[in-house]
Parts: sequence; structure tokens; C-alpha cells
Amino acid sequence: MLRQIWIVSVLNFKSLSSRFWQSMVIVVGLAATVGVMLSMLSVSAGMRQAYLNAGDPNRAIVVSKGIEQEGQSAITRAMAPMIASAPGIAKDKDGKPLADRNLNMGVPVLRKDGSKGFTTMRGLADKGQGVRPELKIVQGRMFQSGKREMIVGVGAQMMFQHMEIGEKVILPDGEWPIVGVFATGDLLEGQLVGDTETLITSLHKTNYNTVLVRLASPDSLDTFKKALTTNPTLSVDVIRHSDWYARIASQSTFALALLGYTVGTVMAIGALFGCLNTMYSAVSTRGREIATLRALGYGAFPVAVSVILEAVLLSMAGALIGAGIAWSLYDGKQDLFGNSVFHLSVSPAQIQLGVIWAIAVALLGGLFPSIRAARRPVVEALRAT
Amino acid sequence: MKYLPLIWTGVMRKPMRTILTLLSVTVAFTLFGLMIGLNATFDLVAERARADRIFTGPRFGGLAGNGMPIAIARQIAAMPGVKVVTAVNFVPGYVQDPKNPVFLVMLDDNAEKVVHDWPIAPEVWAAIRKDRTGIVMSKMQAARWNKKVGDSFTMISQAVKRADGKNSWTFKLVAIGDDIAEQTNGYVFGNYDYIDKAKPLADQGRVNEIDLLANDPATATELAQRIDRTFANSATPLRTITDKMARSGKDFEGLNIKAITHGIALAGMFMVLFLTGNGIAESVRERFAEFATLKTIGFSDRAVTALVVLEAALPCVLGAALGVVIAALLARQLPGLMPPGFGLPFPTISPVVMLWAAVCALVVAAISAALPILRLNRMDIASALSGRA
Repeated sequence: MLRQIWIVSVLNFKSLSSRFWQSMVIVVGLAATVGVMLSMLSVSAGMRQAYLNAGDPNRAIVVSKGIEQEGQSAITRAMAPMIASAPGIAKDKDGKPLADRNLNMGVPVLRKDGSKGFTTMRGLADKGQGVRPELKIVQGRMFQSGKREMIVGVGAQMMFQHMEIGEKVILPDGEWPIVGVFATGDLLEGQLVGDTETLITSLHKTNYNTVLVRLASPDSLDTFKKALTTNPTLSVDVIRHSDWYARIASQSTFALALLGYTVGTVMAIGALFGCLNTMYSAVSTRGREIATLRALGYGAFPVAVSVILEAVLLSMAGALIGAGIAWSLYDGKQDLFGNSVFHLSVSPAQIQLGVIWAIAVALLGGLFPSIRAARRPVVEALRAT
Repeated sequence: MKYLPLIWTGVMRKPMRTILTLLSVTVAFTLFGLMIGLNATFDLVAERARADRIFTGPRFGGLAGNGMPIAIARQIAAMPGVKVVTAVNFVPGYVQDPKNPVFLVMLDDNAEKVVHDWPIAPEVWAAIRKDRTGIVMSKMQAARWNKKVGDSFTMISQAVKRADGKNSWTFKLVAIGDDIAEQTNGYVFGNYDYIDKAKPLADQGRVNEIDLLANDPATATELAQRIDRTFANSATPLRTITDKMARSGKDFEGLNIKAITHGIALAGMFMVLFLTGNGIAESVRERFAEFATLKTIGFSDRAVTALVVLEAALPCVLGAALGVVIAALLARQLPGLMPPGFGLPFPTISPVVMLWAAVCALVVAAISAALPILRLNRMDIASALSGRA
């Protein structure tokens, strides 16, 4: 049986060159479908990755009870030291807990394309770099605490105007000079960072938004959480940083991903009709060839399988071409959506998804033609011109 | 006209091929219609955006901030060149679960004057004015919450608390209005005055946005800059933008909407081009001898060309028409299928969209027919008749 399938399939592919343009309908159809779908998904996938990278399982975020966004959370000055003295927090070399008071604020920016947008200005306090060791200065220097100056992410510098070292960003109490550029490999790269205490004064605020801590070990979350949630003077939620960002990543990329899959589905339906057309036409032009094989004793099943196999291989070729185009155009390109800055992503996992879609289309598009090919009476097919 | 049966037999020679081609073309043009229709909506909103309407809000903090004092609205109203000012409050929250977000916009009596050109019926405005706890919803929102006029609507807002410290709000739905392109998620409007007085004293008198009309569209940009300058050193610096600037129609949250929609539509057309081109080439190849016969009995090259072009155009044009019709039917349903709050507008299948669909269908047909026609025009009739070509 397998031998028969193999022989019939090889025969199929040898005759492909005579059906070149016909076969190209499948290849181009799936290339267009997968290319468009992966291009669209590169936005949601890239954004998702930037969010996921920002969440570290070795960190925990402390926010007001029941809130969904950092900006809505309020941690008072009195609460911050209580949080920092809780058990389960990693200590730096001086034995001080790695707990950092954070502040967030929307700042208007001019995008490189001239449109107006917002980004996040983030305040980090004295333990900022201890809690976030991934933050590396790539140009200029770190901001000094107590000074009205800031550093900008490499992504922000790429996507927004006036983000060079020496330029100034307008904040509520005047202009803050940019003194450095940082990289983190995550969402933070599209943001601006300054000193929490200076920022809180400039905003006339009385509360921090969150406290971010480095856990003594990934397992110490429970200890830390228990200490805070059983303290009646605190009304806070403690969430593992990776879980926090996983939730936001899903929420903020769901609609975009849905849009990508919807357009991908519609195009796949179009490609399916094209595939059906090509395969019907292929089995009809090869009618005599198939009938000859059947007359020689080859079974109906190997014939049917060979037809589906042809559709699958052509579709996969198309999917890989489409994925290749999407990858070369978009993978790694810096982009933004709303106030999130990230790298577009066409990852191997997505390419795999594209290939799976192509196989699904090919199976559907090859099935009916293969049944027709296998069922056609041998005598009738041999006589047909 | 007399050649119609000839074309029909050509098209229906292999009905399966024709039907599958037609279906594929229909799907491609459905996508085409939705994509170009989406562009049309952005263009429409950009065109309808008024140069003399100005929006202003706190420069920093965005929606998470606690707004600005209402006194700013009075100060702006007193500035020269300002016609009418309205203060707007937002009540962000959710129904039952944070997974069901809702966004209420609380308006005062001047709102109607500032957005007088929006296609919102006067009865809708009148309805909220009559009832302090009343709200109006667009059809999309009413459908989402499954509410009809007279129903009460309860929501939780973490951001806006009532005077008694609770954060649950109940309103009464007093009217349902048509959806408008300017409010892509639909709208829920209520009374600013009611919400302001219902808040704790410390939170009263604060607004999230101030909208105004300038006396003269020509000086509106200057007025916007003047407002920003006036408040630059106040406790609440502002960010002011004209309606025209805010809705340039180029981008959606920073994504280049034109480039994306055109790319998708083009990919669909490319896919279809291969299919129709291949179909017509195959059809002509199979009937080469027949075309030779037609030429022999006196059909000119031009007549044969016309036959092939029409045969290629039929599935393209029919598929384009069907696709655009389906797109028009889908366009109104799509926003309901997207997650709430995403804000992508519904496509508008305008005459321009139909025109482009027709043009693209004809271009696809013309390109598809080009090679077979070239072959037919160069055919050696004698050898074609004998089946040697």
C-alpha cells in the first residue's frame, strides 16, 4: 500500500511541470493567505512578546486591591516601607530589600510619522536597577536621583521625535533633559524613565502607583504575599510580575490577533476554492493516467492519497513562501500600537501555524477531487479524451 | 448582444471551474470591500472632522489622571474667538465583571451645540435633558447590554465614586440613537450635572475633557495653541488639538491603516489574478480549435478578443459585485464581533468603494485575458483546426 502511494505520488510530481501554472494557483493562493495572516499577526505577536518579556517570575508587583492597571493603583508613602520590610524579598549587598517604588504617567509624544500619541513616563526609585537588572544604559548615563532628568528607551528613541540625548521633554513642572538611552529587551524600551521621588513632586501627587520587588527566590512569593495580605493596614494585591504581564498581554493583543485570524480565515476560504479548482482540474487532465494505473492494479486509496498529498505539498510550498515574505518584511522591525512600542515578530511558532493552516486548506481542497479521482470508472476514464 | 449565448457556453463549459472561480473571486472581493470600506470610513471621518472644533484635556496622566477643574472651561469660554464651550466627564467602569468594560460620557447642555453636525437625532438629546439619571445608548451599545428604552443600567466604576463612597451607579436608558462613524465603539451619553453632584464633594467640579467651537475655522489652530500657552504654567497644563488634526485619517493607534488595508486588498487580488488567469488560459487552450473555427467563418481578431475578455470579465465582475454586497452586509455586523473597546470603525461601502471594486475586477479580467488573446491573435488557423497547435 505505502509503496503504491509512493509510486503514484512520484508520478504525480513528475508531471507537475506540465501543470505548472495550474499548480501555481495553489502556491500563490496560500502564499497570499499565509503572508497576509502572518504579517498581521506580527503586530499582536510582537506586542505580546514585549509584554511577556517585561514580566519576570522572580519579581512581584504590589498594587491596590482589585485594580487592573498600574495607573489606577495607589500606594501611599506610609505603605511603601511596610511593603519593603515584608519577608520574601531579595536583599542587595548592603542587606537592603530590593523593593522599588514606581510611578507611571502618560506623556504626549510626537511619533516619527508625525501623528500624536502617548507614551509612559515611569518613575524608578533607588532600587530600580537592582529590581530590574535587565535595564542597561547603552548611551549617555543613568539619571541621578533628585534631579529633573530622564533616560529614554531605544524603542522610544526610534519611534518618537525629539528623543536624542540633550533634547528636552516637557513635563508638568517644566522641561526635563534626556541624559541617557537604555535597553531592556521588553516593553520598557518604548518608555521614558526618571526618578520616582522627583517625578512625584513634579506631578503634585501624594501616592506611588506600585511597588515592584525582587523575590528572594521564585518560591518566596507565597511568603511575601501572605505577609502583605494578612496585614490589616494594607489593602493590596500581590501578583507575580510574569502573571501580571501575561494578563495584560492577552487583554491588549486579543483584538489585534482576532483581526489577523479573521482576515486569514477569509483569505483561506478564497484560497480553498482556488485549491479545489486546481485539484479538480488536475484529476481531470490526469484522468487517463490515473485510469491506466488503476487498470494496472493500483488501488483507489493510493490514488486518492496521492492527490491529497500533491495539494498538501503545493500548499506548504505556498505557505513557506508567504511566511518567508512576511518574515523578511516584518520580523524584528520596530513598531508601535497605541502607546506600546515593540518589535514585530514572525516567529517559528507562527510560521508553523501558517503551515498548519495551509495543510488544513489543502486537506479540504484535495479531499473531494481525490474522491472523484478514485471513484471514476476505469473504462470511462480510459476512453475519455 | 447576439454573442451572449456564445460567451455563456464558454463560461459554462466547465460549470465546476466557473463556480469555484466565482466563489473565490467573491471571497476576495468581500475582503476587498471590507478593507477599502474601512479606508472609506477613515476618509469620511477625516472629511467630516471640523476645523473649528477643538478638544482639550489634561496634558499629563491621560485617563488615569483625575481631570481638571471646571473653572478652566469658564476661563476658555471667556477667551476671544471662542463660540461655545462644553465640559465632558468620563465614567469608565464595567458591568458585573471587569471583563465587560463600559465607558460613559457625561455631557452638559452645550454638548449638542458643539457636536451639532453629528447625526444624532434631536429627540435623543432632548431625552437625556429631561431625566437627570437618564442615559442614551447607540444601537450597538444597547444591543451589547441587551437593553431597551426604560430599562435600568447598573455599572461599577473604580475611578468615579458616589458621595456615599460606593462605586456602583444605576442609570435609566431613556433613548437609543443611531451609531455614528465618529464614535467607533458606539456611545453611552449621560448628564454631566447629575454625575458631578452625585460625587463626593472633594471630587466635584472636575472634568476630563473640554470641547469647544471657534468663531472662525481659519484661526482655530491658533486658538488651540493659545489655550495651551495660557495654561502651560498652571497646575493643569493642557493639550489642545483641533478635530481636524485629531482625525487625520492616516492612522489607527499608530498603525498605518492605508498601507495595511491596501496590502491586504492587493494580496487578495493577486490570489484571484492567478486563479482567473489560469482559468481563462485553460479554457482557451481547450477550445483552441473552436476559436480557429470562429476565425474561419469570419470573426475578426477584435471580435475574438472581445469574446475572451468578456468571458474572463464575467466571473470577475459578478464576483466583485457579490463580494461587495456581502461586504456591505457584513460591515454593520463586524463591530459587534470585535471585542468591545477596540475602536476599529465599521467599513463604509461608499460609491467610491464600489467604483474601485469594479476597476479592480476589470483590471484582473484584462490581465487574465491578455496572454490567451495574444496566443489567439497569433494563431495559425490551419494548424489550429487540425489540432496541431
